[in-house]
Amino acid sequence: MAVLEEPIKEVLELKNYVNGEWVDSKAKERWDVINPATQKKLATVPMSTQEEVEGAIQAAQEAFPEWRRTPPLARVRCLFRLKEMMEKNFETLSRVQTMEHGKSIDESRGETRRGIEMVEVATGIPSLMQGYNLEDIASGIDEYVVYQPLGVFTHIAPFNFPFMVPLWYSPFALATGNTFVVKPSPRDPISQVKLAEMFEEAGIPPGVYNVIHGGAEAAKILMEHPAVKGVTFVGTTSIGKIVYKTAGENGKRAICQLSAKNFMVVMPDADVNATIAALLTSFFGNTGQRCLSGANLVMVGDDEKFNKRFLETFFDATAKIKVGYGLDESVQMGPMQSADGKKRVLKYIEIGIKEGAKLVLDGRKANIMGDYPETCFVGPTIFENVEPQMTIAREEIFGPVAAVLRARDLDTVIEWINASNYGNAAAIFTGSGKAAREFQYRVECGNIGINIGIVAPMAFFPFSGMKDSFYGVLHGQGKDAIRFFTESKVVVQRWF
Amino acid sequence: MAMKINTCSEVVSLARELEQQGATFYQELARRWPELSEVFSGFAKENENYLTLVERAYYGVISDAYEGCFAFDMDPDAHRIDTDLPEGLSRSQAVARATAMEENLISFYREAAQQSRSLMADVPRAMEMVAKKRTERLRKLQGL
Repeated sequence: MAVLEEPIKEVLELKNYVNGEWVDSKAKERWDVINPATQKKLATVPMSTQEEVEGAIQAAQEAFPEWRRTPPLARVRCLFRLKEMMEKNFETLSRVQTMEHGKSIDESRGETRRGIEMVEVATGIPSLMQGYNLEDIASGIDEYVVYQPLGVFTHIAPFNFPFMVPLWYSPFALATGNTFVVKPSPRDPISQVKLAEMFEEAGIPPGVYNVIHGGAEAAKILMEHPAVKGVTFVGTTSIGKIVYKTAGENGKRAICQLSAKNFMVVMPDADVNATIAALLTSFFGNTGQRCLSGANLVMVGDDEKFNKRFLETFFDATAKIKVGYGLDESVQMGPMQSADGKKRVLKYIEIGIKEGAKLVLDGRKANIMGDYPETCFVGPTIFENVEPQMTIAREEIFGPVAAVLRARDLDTVIEWINASNYGNAAAIFTGSGKAAREFQYRVECGNIGINIGIVAPMAFFPFSGMKDSFYGVLHGQGKDAIRFFTESKVVVQRWF
Repeated sequence: MAMKINTCSEVVSLARELEQQGATFYQELARRWPELSEVFSGFAKENENYLTLVERAYYGVISDAYEGCFAFDMDPDAHRIDTDLPEGLSRSQAVARATAMEENLISFYREAAQQSRSLMADVPRAMEMVAKKRTERLRKLQGL
């Protein structure tokens, strides 16, 4: 299959989108945005100055009163137009993600679709945002609750889903009447720029939606500025701790969706072929750079015949994964997003070997389809004979590495999962309703899969998470997001 | 032997290629046999609709959470179609070629439907629907 046409033809000089204008940054520091597969430079992105970041927040603050007064139905009409534009530009948006991130084109299209779904759900705000009331709470007195927007919200975006993750928040924030400032990851900010062009074309008024480029300094302002009412963050637990603490100290609400170490548990009665298809996506989809990725594969029970057959099939299927540039339609796994990411994965492979795990599939020397530099490529990697106390079974690798463990029974696995610092996702593969029920009841993770490899909640459900995988009270997406972006005001009313 | 195709994107691209080749084939039949022009032009138009059906299902439900890159294991060569129409071909020979092409396409869509069961239901349903509609077309061809 041929490589699909690249939508970015020349190096882009990215601008900030503030108060409805595309503004050149005065920043002296600019980063290069590199296609991780080809190593070609795609864009330069400014590390915006303090004044520029504050200017974006101010624009959002000034736009708030009028946007808040805009009827919900009129607000969501803008979102309907935005959706139309996203559909119209679906393929371009997807290919841009592949170019700047490296993921396969199927995965990018999936990301675009998920992003659009957030907008679709947020268009239900005229119904979803309604409060509630009760007459005669005392004689002649009625009481009711209204949900009101708060003002400016910010988002500090990760690199792994450059298009979709900011959309976990922005459509809900805007639909509920708030204004928004997003700081894309400087590693892959282009799809957010393309998206902002669509917000502009959709008629979102100036200042309601803003994009400011930058790094840690810009992020600090976005979480400390007095005009900001709430911060949303997706990234590592170590940074998330800082964001959550800073937001708390500054009196802001926060959603921090963080690192993970997800267990995929295979019971002896699992459907082999269907489970393996699900596990390939889980462990190696998005090159393992996903907080819902499988990390530990646990074979439960002493049915050696089943375990052997299952693992041999899994190893064979993994070894056949086609690695290359994601715009080649036949590619199943792209490169890591950065050379640093690859370095981290290689470090963990070395640790796994040193700690005595058996390397059954070595991705250190990837077999790349096509003539591309190795800089960011790692092949799928599998370790066997992994013990739960080993580093590779405990720490987040964030790459295409599967650690295979054996457990004598389900109770043991549940103990391991619950002993982990992380609690993002876990899945069980089984034909037994009893085992599945036990698993979903006892496991301390926010997202539970039953015969599902990637436990990604749909836009109308919260994207949950527990322990060090999530700091906050309300989650992104669904009704949680609506509550997060609104304050409940109680009115008690009596007429004399 | 060509490499097996594994991703949704490849399968949709193959469907596009086959439908477009098929449409060109029927347009040529319509040009050569004006008395059946309405039928053959109709088939060419239907090919576009089938492609829309498949693409809509794919783009509508493709999601990062499902097995888009790992759903298929198909040999594209098994589904190549012969759309060659040498000069001097009789009408019955041309219809025989069309029939063979349709049979091949039915087998392609059935295999694609079968292999895409792990994806969201819309994809296998769309594939099945195209296979079913093609079976009806086959009957029409046999009646010519």
